[in-house]
Amino acid sequence: MEILIKAMDALWQVLLVGLLLGVGLPALFALGVRILNSDRQLISVGPAGEEITKPSAAAITGAAVCFGLCVLAVVFGIVVIVFGKQLFGV
Amino acid sequence: MTEAFYILCIVVVTALAFDFTNGFHDTANAMATSVATGALKPKVAVALSAILNLVGAFLSIEVALTVSNKIISIQGSNGAPVPGLMGVPMLVIILAGLVGGILWNLVTWLFGLPSSSSHALFGGLIGATIAALGVGGVKWDGVISSIVLPAVFAPVVAGLVAGLGTWIVFKIVTNVPQQRRDAGFRWGQVGSASLVSLAHGTNDAQKTMGVITLALVAYGSWSNLHGIPVWVKIACALTIAAGTWVGGWRVIRTMGKGLVEISSPQGMAAETSSAVIILSSSHLGMALSTTQVASGSILGSGVGRRVPVRWGVFGRMVVAWLLTLPAAGIVGAMCWFVANGIGGALGVTVIFGVLVVGAAYMLRRSRRTPITPENVNAEWDGGLVPAEEREPARTAN
Repeated sequence: MEILIKAMDALWQVLLVGLLLGVGLPALFALGVRILNSDRQLISVGPAGEEITKPSAAAITGAAVCFGLCVLAVVFGIVVIVFGKQLFGV
Repeated sequence: MTEAFYILCIVVVTALAFDFTNGFHDTANAMATSVATGALKPKVAVALSAILNLVGAFLSIEVALTVSNKIISIQGSNGAPVPGLMGVPMLVIILAGLVGGILWNLVTWLFGLPSSSSHALFGGLIGATIAALGVGGVKWDGVISSIVLPAVFAPVVAGLVAGLGTWIVFKIVTNVPQQRRDAGFRWGQVGSASLVSLAHGTNDAQKTMGVITLALVAYGSWSNLHGIPVWVKIACALTIAAGTWVGGWRVIRTMGKGLVEISSPQGMAAETSSAVIILSSSHLGMALSTTQVASGSILGSGVGRRVPVRWGVFGRMVVAWLLTLPAAGIVGAMCWFVANGIGGALGVTVIFGVLVVGAAYMLRRSRRTPITPENVNAEWDGGLVPAEEREPARTAN
């Protein structure tokens, strides 16, 4: 019984971090992809009549913030991998 | 050459063989999703994973010699072998356990089933310990808290997180044209898969390093309980990277194509869920199996995207997970009885021979229906072996 309580205690923490980062980061990344493709400006029309577009400066900035935060999370992940035992002591 | 030294050599070779199977059995955990969506070409994926496993193995700055402390009582609390087992008895237990672990890894690989390499190793060691010391040698509390409960929770937690993540991601990008969407998410896939590979190298190579160092301590040629010999570190790092590079294509195929069809955003959500849960669980007091987390994430991502999940394939995986501990344990126990019954160098040679013959047999079986980088992404048609290769006409073997 004691084992189970201890396991549950660890479990909800894992679940919490999982929901926060495991759901949050993909959502943030998706937001970046969405912003990058939301406000595209027409540059020219190609030979077959297709529109050639590029993201606006504002879209690039917004997406860069999202992707930048994701990169930060990856760096944090590497820090946890390397120094996790010192940081968390488990 | 003394008998003990001969046995030590066999143990080291066998431990490295386990490390190799650990590498190729687990490539899928990180790379199956990227291979399936084409984010990385199959050979590039395994090469990247191999490099990151190599780097990860060297990054492990703190070495846990107390590999088996939680589950069996062959080591004292400081990691040293218990006094009564110093020397050959300890070496034989370790060897029997390793043989059990390797053979189970190869069986599951042959069937393309992802199963935890750590559980296979622990299963083998538990079996060998029961054979040597009786049931009292096993710490059942530890078995439950560090193997059984995590195995129950891993797929649930991972599936939940990945499912929710996938669902939200698709909500957010619903209006983005598919081509642009996938191009973006492929980068995310590579990033998250790389983290999983790095974490794998750090954790799993360390286990073999711990086992070999434990053998050296038992033999008496190493006494530092807080460090490992440099050659052990280099050998283990190179071996797990080589195993990863060979690529367990059979397992990659089951995880990437067998469970659900994977799209780029979904693969990214699944792999991020895996990375986050593996890293958080190993530092919050309940280390979850990488394999079970990755499988659960992929399954959950399929549910989150509402694509059909092949529950039959998942059922087979669960059966393999349930069997891992007892199956590796039985082999480990039998090996110990054989080695101990015959005794000495000859006994050890016999079980090493059993390992070689068993491994060669399974390798031969796998050649009948090879899964390669070329057919790893073939349409899943009711089984691991792609339809066009299933013809009975192939009698060359």
